[in-house]
Amino acid sequence: MTDAPAAPPAVRARGLTKRFGQRAAVDDLDLDVAEGTVYGLLGPNGAGKTTFMRMLFGLVGADAGTLEVFGRTWAHDGVATLAPVAGFIESPRFYPYLTGRANLRLLATLDRVDRRGDDADARIGGVLDTVDLLDRADEKVSGYSYGMRQRLGVAAALLREPRLLVLDEPANGLDPAGIRDMRALVTRLARSGLTVLLSSHDMDEVEQICDHVTIMSKGRVAFTGSLHRLRALAPAPTHLITTSDDLAALRVLSKAASRLDDVSVTTTHGALALRGPQAAIDRCVITLADAGVAVRTLVPGTSPLEAVFFSLTEPEDVVPTHSHQPEPGAAMSTRTSTAPKAAGAPAAAATSRSPR
Amino acid sequence: MSAPLTSGAAQAPATGVLARAPRAVPTRGGFPAALRAEATKLTAQLRAKLLLAACLVVPPVVVAGLAGQRPPSDTIYGRWVHESGYADSLLLLGFAAQWVLPLVASLVAGDTFAGEEAHGTWKTLLTRSVSRSHVFWAKCVLSAVVSLLALLLMAVSATVAGMLLVGTQPLVGLSGQTVGSTAALELVAASWALAAAPLLAMTAIALLLSARVRNPAVGVVGPVVIGLLMTLLGAVGGTHLLRRALPTTAFESWHGLFAAPAFTGPVWQGLLTCAVWTVVCLLLARVHLVRRDITGG
Repeated sequence: MTDAPAAPPAVRARGLTKRFGQRAAVDDLDLDVAEGTVYGLLGPNGAGKTTFMRMLFGLVGADAGTLEVFGRTWAHDGVATLAPVAGFIESPRFYPYLTGRANLRLLATLDRVDRRGDDADARIGGVLDTVDLLDRADEKVSGYSYGMRQRLGVAAALLREPRLLVLDEPANGLDPAGIRDMRALVTRLARSGLTVLLSSHDMDEVEQICDHVTIMSKGRVAFTGSLHRLRALAPAPTHLITTSDDLAALRVLSKAASRLDDVSVTTTHGALALRGPQAAIDRCVITLADAGVAVRTLVPGTSPLEAVFFSLTEPEDVVPTHSHQPEPGAAMSTRTSTAPKAAGAPAAAATSRSPR
Repeated sequence: MSAPLTSGAAQAPATGVLARAPRAVPTRGGFPAALRAEATKLTAQLRAKLLLAACLVVPPVVVAGLAGQRPPSDTIYGRWVHESGYADSLLLLGFAAQWVLPLVASLVAGDTFAGEEAHGTWKTLLTRSVSRSHVFWAKCVLSAVVSLLALLLMAVSATVAGMLLVGTQPLVGLSGQTVGSTAALELVAASWALAAAPLLAMTAIALLLSARVRNPAVGVVGPVVIGLLMTLLGAVGGTHLLRRALPTTAFESWHGLFAAPAFTGPVWQGLLTCAVWTVVCLLLARVHLVRRDITGG
């Protein structure tokens, strides 16, 4: 007796390339999204995430390579490729002159929900309830807020009962409460067994929701693997401190370097950035206090995962100097905490494709 | 966002719509589904309703207005508008051919593709279970149906208004012969019917513009301007061959039916020309839509 063939992954891309003029939006991309995972696609703006998702939906054609969705390809299976897929690209758009419910009814018509033995109206009511839009369903979409349209987009996706839910920056443009609720919904959907492919440029979002991640930069894969593997690449956390005398603080920390050898100190705009484990940061604070330098503020800087993200996606010419040298200025990093390079972050090549 | 996004807590087990096993979306029946969806959108918009209402209401108003004025003798059948109601209908047909029928053709067709662009809804439409071809043909069929329905309403409205307000007297033919009332009614009906071919050609031009230019305003106004330019071009002397190749020339093909003896050469020529324009424009529009990358919205 032979084993049954392994089920194809939800998404498999091989050598996928898309050019707009001379610019490669997606460049020789290889990607596998296993069924049942919550997969994060990360990258700065222009990294190629949205173009990849448009290719997945058949909105944009590939110049080279293959893209399979549950083993189907657009070239061979046409629109049937989309049968197990739903989601939205960027912000979901609807017909403003129709109500939310009428928009969903129109989409249910296109999906032939009735032909699947469902009562379309009951199904529409169900998905509207899921995204908590039932009480506003009979208002025209032109009067919806951005967040309501995002929720209607999720409802429109759920209408298809997909196996793969594709969401392109679903929290984009939402207020903090909306972001929290959207993340909760995506988490809940993932727990229901859906495969979720989520693009974002927010590391925190991906960290909270996803278990696998691909980081894209300039159309290419800069990292792919589990979130656990990505965390292993992360440098020690950074803390920013302001003191009563930064120069004196640098001198004190430099003199104590033998006791603080697991901490790197860099200057930033109006603060000192300490990178090292929490216990070492504590020792720094105590050392400064003992030397009569007051620590006025101590705040967490870039998260370790963000630091990895920046190290993988930003140009090499902004690598900061990390030093115990007390001299401020040229020898010290002048990067602010908003986008520091991951000092000490392992080379991306450890788990990503080699640069070509 | 004032309301919570989820009706239940994030930790809650999947229930309701989320608990169901995903099922395959049907991949057949895409064209009827797309047609129903397009009809839903069209009937929800004021534009199509206003167009059809205008086609019904305006002709009687014009016929009534003509009754109290000196006949417009410089236009075809203008001098007979007080003599026979059929002349009023033909006068309106001749006038409508100048720019009204191109406008009728473009009001829905010119917006049908460009409107998706303006609303950013291409990605909504094309990420469902219908192919681009299904959507394309659904939009084309519906645009053609609206154009033909508008023409039918205009024809019936103009003819009935002429018959009721002026009368069903015999009509004077273009060769000076007298055409009996019944025969005149048949010829008037045939004349309006012949306008369907150039109307469909103008609809196809509007569809092509709408798909290519992606701007609703250009999609609607463009065919009207093109129609006027074609009419002007056709009026220039020494352009006989070019004139025969223009779809707007077919708007006048009914003239031969009112000559004695009647001649139908322009009718067949017009039908052929319009068929070519229609097919070419639709094919170009389809190729463009099927091949293009949807990057907006």
